[in-house]
Amino acid sequence: MSQKQLKRHDRSDIFIHWFNAVCWLLLLITGLALFSNPEIDPVGSGYPAFVRSLVGGGGNLLLIHVTLGFIWAGGLLLYIMINLKGALFFLKEVFVVSPARDIPWIIKKMVIMTVGPKPLGDNAKLPDQGYYNMGQKAFAQASVVGCIVIVVTGIIMFLSDRTLGAEATALVSWSVTLHYLAVGLVFAGLLVHIYMAAISPEERPGFLSMFTGHVPEGYAKHHHKIWYDKVKSDSGSES
Amino acid sequence: MSTKQAQLAMVIDSSMCIDCKGCMASCKIANDSPEGQWRNWVKHSVPDFTARFPKIHFQPGGCMHCDNPTCVQACPTGATYKDKKDGTVHIDSSLCIGCGNCIPACPYDARFRNILTKKADKCNFCAERREQGLMPACVDTCPTKARVFGDINDPESEASRLLAKNADRLVRVVNAKTDTKPNMIYLGETAPLNWPVEAKMPTAMVALTSVVNPLVRTVVGLSGIGVAVMLVRQLIAGSGSEDDVHDESGTDSQNKGGDA
Repeated sequence: MSQKQLKRHDRSDIFIHWFNAVCWLLLLITGLALFSNPEIDPVGSGYPAFVRSLVGGGGNLLLIHVTLGFIWAGGLLLYIMINLKGALFFLKEVFVVSPARDIPWIIKKMVIMTVGPKPLGDNAKLPDQGYYNMGQKAFAQASVVGCIVIVVTGIIMFLSDRTLGAEATALVSWSVTLHYLAVGLVFAGLLVHIYMAAISPEERPGFLSMFTGHVPEGYAKHHHKIWYDKVKSDSGSES
Repeated sequence: MSTKQAQLAMVIDSSMCIDCKGCMASCKIANDSPEGQWRNWVKHSVPDFTARFPKIHFQPGGCMHCDNPTCVQACPTGATYKDKKDGTVHIDSSLCIGCGNCIPACPYDARFRNILTKKADKCNFCAERREQGLMPACVDTCPTKARVFGDINDPESEASRLLAKNADRLVRVVNAKTDTKPNMIYLGETAPLNWPVEAKMPTAMVALTSVVNPLVRTVVGLSGIGVAVMLVRQLIAGSGSEDDVHDESGTDSQNKGGDA
């Protein structure tokens, strides 16, 4: 590394990101296969049958999915307990939006990423962004809200045949619907997240920081100017 | 044996039913149905006292193992399914979480949410007994042999022979709005006939299949298209950031090779 690095992620942040990524992947693989109905067929009718045959039936698949779900939710809970400060910082950075800066940013960014900067003419310069840019905020907001819906509906479905009575079946039935809706919408955002972070070269330093915890100063200054300025003015003597 | 897949069915001469409820009692014992919950029934017509001898007709029934099972359509996970091998409508209780979708989806009210297991429950033509070569408990018990059970796709079965013999007087009790093609076939006149209700798909399931699923597909599709467009642009332009006005002073050049 030839230039100065800024600390961006704690080790617990890095851990929870990749822990979450692995859990999401496994939960998606098993969860999609739990649907088996021609009216809800997101990946084709052969898929549920295939996955079920791998694990020895739908009952086992349900058990695996539920177990993974609890491991995932437990991991998130553990992270919040270990690094409450980090979690609160994350939530604040994600949910505090500055419309004057962030709305033009996301519109311009979408134009630049898809058709290029030419239609914007002299207006192609993006407004400065904080710790997260508006795109990251939007996906994180969807993820946080989505995760809450997913965990709550997941627990309701888990309790359905354990403690809930017949009068609660409408709640369980709606939980199935909302669980799928939340996963579907977050997944749509996840596609863009994966592209921006891992495939698009522009965010490569950000991607690497999810392993190292650090970003180069130049990247921070260009992509997260407000955060960079704040770190610089806060740090003073710190390096 | 017929080359067609088996279709287990019950052929019932309801005029032979004497309302002893032996079928209901034996079913309850064979299947451990909880107190107050029954997998089968004996319905009766409105008694007619105007005749010299009062007239009443009894009609034994249970899950009809339909060819067009609306309960299966209502199940999101396939925990309830039409078994391809024997034609029964089966519940995989290890996969069922008791969401209750299938219960109003049955026009015959043949399903209930078992108060002990908290899962969907109904007649399975005594799958456990059949494995041991026994008839379903209700068939075994019936003192008048009103219930005849067998594979109606096998022309040699007693059920098939009965159907062939009574081909012109077969009755399927259906709701006009939801003909689920039941495999419980009554011989001759049976009563009552107007009791099946319209199958009702729970609102959450309707929302799932007709709103949420198309919405999710559309949004994921649009997102995928967006990513594809960005990727194509990245490949054509060489780098997504090439046209961007970059000022990453100090960025080492190997890290941002394509930067202008």
